[in-house]
Amino acid sequence: MKRQTKLTPQEQEQLSETKSQQTPAREFASAEELLRHDASQVVVPPAIAERLSESIKNEPKPAPSWWRRLLGST
Amino acid sequence: MSESSVDQERPSQPPLPLAPPEFAALYQTHSRAVYYLALRYLGDPPAAEDATHEVFLKVYRKLNEFRGESSLRTWLYRITINHCHNVRQSWHSRNLVTNADEAVWENAASRVDSPFRVLEIKELGERIQKALDGLSDEYRLLLLLVADEEMSYDEVAALTQQTADAVRGKLHRARKAFAVLFQQAEVKHETPNQTHTPGARAAF
Repeated sequence: MKRQTKLTPQEQEQLSETKSQQTPAREFASAEELLRHDASQVVVPPAIAERLSESIKNEPKPAPSWWRRLLGST
Repeated sequence: MSESSVDQERPSQPPLPLAPPEFAALYQTHSRAVYYLALRYLGDPPAAEDATHEVFLKVYRKLNEFRGESSLRTWLYRITINHCHNVRQSWHSRNLVTNADEAVWENAASRVDSPFRVLEIKELGERIQKALDGLSDEYRLLLLLVADEEMSYDEVAALTQQTADAVRGKLHRARKAFAVLFQQAEVKHETPNQTHTPGARAAF
């Protein structure tokens, strides 16, 4: 059975060069650095803020903090 | 949230309408950290959304109890961790969580000091999640907390109820395990039905 078209070494080199240009490598020095990059790319879904606002509307107003109560009583 | 909501541009946090300004500012400052910890610790975007909502609602209710004995970030993380532990325990009770196999990384050759070289930024989040999912809960949590530059080793130690030295020791093993699993996550993702050449697309 005749094989499918096979790239010549030159063509393979060109292809890999093209791919490497499209997807530049990025290095992270440590797992933590990798995770920090990951965290910086994550967007908090806006739906959370909307849900939270709705939930807060149904909450009683929070009491003032202990130090405010203290200052207010003096 | 799906992985597709990961933005290559500098993302901004959504405003919090109707909330008191102090609380809105707190949400603006810390929501990403809380959401990220929940997202990567639980590995489930809808559960991370629920967790973030619950954490900040609890914070809203208890803000007057915060005495400043720890940093605000540490306090938020403590609430987040407690919530996530409860969620995971619920999952465990329903047998939905697979246990990490420590032999996988203990026997694997990996150099922790080598850089993580990544070619596929686009799917990086999925790959990181796969690697984190293979870690034990403790290792996953330690790595995520230490990755936050606002957290000191002492604060991480306090949050995870151990000494800073214990944190350092476990972190070394956690980094090694993560490196192995991260490499494997790429291989599995890239060539599901083919033999692969180790190190062809990632270097450690």
